[in-house]
Amino acid sequence: MSSWLDYTINGLIVGNVYALVAVGLALIFGVSRLINFAQGSIYLVGAYIGWVAVVQLHTPLPLTIIVVAVAAALVGLIIERFGLRPLQNSVRIAPLLATIGISFVLDQLVMLTFSPNPRALPSQLPDVRFQIGGGTIGPLDLLIAGVGLTSALLLFVFLRYSKLGWAVRATAQDRDAAMQMGVDVNRVNQAVFGIAAALGGVSGLLVGMYYNQIDTAMSLQATLKGVVAEVVGGAGNVPGAVIGSLLLGLVESYGVAVFGTSYRNLFAFLLLVVVLVLRPNGLFASARQAPPEPLTGTFIAPSRPVRIPRWALLIAAAVFAILPLLPVSFYVLQTLINAWLLGMLALSLTLVAGTIGQVSLGHAALLAIGAYTSALLSLTFAVPVVLAIIGGGLMSAALGTALISPSFRLRGHYVSIATLAIGEIVSLVILNWESVTRGPIGISGIPPLALFGYELVSPISIYWFSFIVMVVLALLQGRLLGSHLGRSFRAIRDDDIAARAYGLSLNRYKSLAFIFGGFAAGISGGIAAHLYSYINHETFNTQQSILALTVVILGGLGNVVGAIVGAVALVGLPEVFRIAAEYRILIYGIVLLLLVRFRPQGLLGTM
Amino acid sequence: MSNIDRRTLVKGSLAAMMAGVAFSRAALAQSSEPILLGVSGPLTGPNAQYGTQWKQGFDLALDEIQAAGGINGRKLAYSFEDSQSDPRQSVAIAQKFVSDPRIVMELGDFSSPASMAASPIYQRGGLVQFGFTNSHPDFTKGGDFMWSTSVSQADEQPLLAAYAVKRLGLKKLAVLHLNTDWGRTSRDYFVKAAKENGAEIAVTEGYIAEERDFRSTLVRVRDANPDGLILISYYSDGALIARQARQVGLKQVICAASSVYSPKFLELGGEAVEDVHVGTRYFPEDPRPEVQTFIAGFKKKYNGVEPDAFNAYAYDAMNMAAAVVRIGGADRRAIRDAFTKVKDVSSVIFGKATFDVESRRVKGAMNAELVVRKGQFALWDGKPT
Repeated sequence: MSSWLDYTINGLIVGNVYALVAVGLALIFGVSRLINFAQGSIYLVGAYIGWVAVVQLHTPLPLTIIVVAVAAALVGLIIERFGLRPLQNSVRIAPLLATIGISFVLDQLVMLTFSPNPRALPSQLPDVRFQIGGGTIGPLDLLIAGVGLTSALLLFVFLRYSKLGWAVRATAQDRDAAMQMGVDVNRVNQAVFGIAAALGGVSGLLVGMYYNQIDTAMSLQATLKGVVAEVVGGAGNVPGAVIGSLLLGLVESYGVAVFGTSYRNLFAFLLLVVVLVLRPNGLFASARQAPPEPLTGTFIAPSRPVRIPRWALLIAAAVFAILPLLPVSFYVLQTLINAWLLGMLALSLTLVAGTIGQVSLGHAALLAIGAYTSALLSLTFAVPVVLAIIGGGLMSAALGTALISPSFRLRGHYVSIATLAIGEIVSLVILNWESVTRGPIGISGIPPLALFGYELVSPISIYWFSFIVMVVLALLQGRLLGSHLGRSFRAIRDDDIAARAYGLSLNRYKSLAFIFGGFAAGISGGIAAHLYSYINHETFNTQQSILALTVVILGGLGNVVGAIVGAVALVGLPEVFRIAAEYRILIYGIVLLLLVRFRPQGLLGTM
Repeated sequence: MSNIDRRTLVKGSLAAMMAGVAFSRAALAQSSEPILLGVSGPLTGPNAQYGTQWKQGFDLALDEIQAAGGINGRKLAYSFEDSQSDPRQSVAIAQKFVSDPRIVMELGDFSSPASMAASPIYQRGGLVQFGFTNSHPDFTKGGDFMWSTSVSQADEQPLLAAYAVKRLGLKKLAVLHLNTDWGRTSRDYFVKAAKENGAEIAVTEGYIAEERDFRSTLVRVRDANPDGLILISYYSDGALIARQARQVGLKQVICAASSVYSPKFLELGGEAVEDVHVGTRYFPEDPRPEVQTFIAGFKKKYNGVEPDAFNAYAYDAMNMAAAVVRIGGADRRAIRDAFTKVKDVSSVIFGKATFDVESRRVKGAMNAELVVRKGQFALWDGKPT
């Protein structure tokens, strides 16, 4: 029984670690209503600056902390000034995407400078341990707790009692009103980014010391856990972020205690979904908080879509259709097959994120459901491949919609966070549900694509198959958007209150959109499974979800042709930069930033 | 007008893509003299470190091969394509390599999902896929063009089990393993072998690769009351677990799979990895000439840096590639057949490597019983810790 004390202490200790990241995220969200996906990268930068200070310059601990805080704050200021401020008047999704681009760039810069090998970051505190329960805690645990709590407290005091703090809160509540009252909104934003970045950097340093280990892949995991903790606590609420973090740590620890280690993250994301469903604004949302944004209409850039004449589309389709007959290499065809598969996923996402306005950050889960269903149907039940793929599409449509439906009542950014969590949950269920999914071993020997008994193994036949499937799905979707149903979808996106007043049942229409979208994504996943012949729980990951979102924003939200153009461009870009080897992700990040900056409504505009 | 501009932009990006491909071809075509191997592996993304280590091992081997006169007078070279160890990219790279007549065989990819997704393309394209880090039991079942020098876990884990149970006398074990295809397969082989040796498995715990906090896992381990901890981990997570085990007060003997064998394990683990036992296929004090030449060469080329196991795998893989190309020449099919003919290729991991034609893997990995003493890996002297 005494073990429960140990689990509790362990949960609180790791919760402390999460709090360091979550506080910075909460601060930025409070002011800019922005989930800063670059926070994990600043944490990474802080860890490596700390490494330079400790290992190369031998600075004492207090000086190390100051050096890291100042340097990280500078990085934050640069991000704010050059990455985000130019996007002030653009759509809400633009800064979110920009932070993703910035995180690519920062992670890659650190990796190029320091090499991807993990490094030891020695703790500068004496290694004495105090016995508590069956375990021990050390000075670094206490320091991390101290830094987390003190910074939360200081921030609370700063926001409540200092003049700049008032300005920050005023800006958070109503940016335009604050500006009219003479608040220098830019200065406020700068201050917030500087403080949040300093916190992020110091957290990287301390966490690195805590584990005596830093590596260039640590940023995404930090961001994920930080976001979960922050949202559980109530987005934008600084003390809430600390409590959310401790709660997250406890839930994980108790989850391990009861069910075992491999379920750990599953409980973290389940906690998030449960909190979002029961208390959509987090556990500690203040009652006086401004009402949430009208809805996702705010994500959509007002623009006139580029109308591509029908004959041009026909010519383009014809060119792509006869491409395999021309002397092009299989490599180009394979790249385009990847583009068609991503195109189907993008069609799905552009429908739910663009047309009906439910931004999804977990869309890869639909691929995974389709892929596993199709693979298992054809392997275990010897269902013909084409029927198995259709089965995958149907399963994605049904299961995907069922999973996502609790998030239908959420608003704005919370929708994307909930979908992010659902994506992670699906991946973790696949990992743990061994009797069905074969767990970490994955499924191998999936039969190749086949049509009427003929196996499609040459890239040319796979190319045609996937191209035709995508075109059919695109035509169906185009037809859908032009119909009465499509107009209802857009009405819900643009003003859900008006739509409801007009008698539209929001949940029913959102479900319909997810059913159509889930089907297209499931088909894409099914084809991929037969193309690769081997899949496991990592084949369709968060990175893929973020890529899909980038594609639809690049193409123009809700824009069917745009989704396909975006898929071709984003599959093509990294291939074009393949010659640049280590630099290509860096270049990709920069291209993403430039696109967001200069064409936030996407290449073809929002429909 | 603006319509046309936008369309040009879209088409332009496509054209740029094709042009990029054409350009890289043209640029490479000028130096068509060396025999070219394709490498598909991670240079960016979460596994980037392993791609970097591969390069070091490859380059060292190539220096020696070139110095010895190359392959029948021709130089050997490789073209490294970054796949991020992502299946989508590894399949595109596979098409690229298969359709590039200068590539005579392929090495990689790093992880099993990325490698096995590309396998059908290599198999159908008739290009050898030489996956030297792919221990997934199904990898070489992809076809007769799939070969591997990665030690099958069926081979390695019984050796570790013998070390832990028979030699160290551990009777009740807790197994912590990375919850991937590799970790899971290894765990199953280990558990089977340990039971056959008469040990009891008190608890097994699988963790995901991104995990950093093991304290609660270790409480479960403590409550199971084992007399030894078995780590089926890579060096970074292995070091973390050892540190946290000592922090939460676990004093049991720790015994780890060869994958923790790296100077980094000592650096990251610090005092916590003192007395950790490691069953390994490679360690620098090994007096065999293959090992000593490798270490001396590596330190000379990379400013005194100690090589680790992944460097050694890559070095061995390149030497093996040279050996089969020497027999098979620049012909893809002949190279595939050469894998059945090579005999006793000098190897850091195997001493002398010969393929088992049935499994298309090498059998008979060397095993050394090491222990960390005074911050260094040393041969275990048989004394209990």
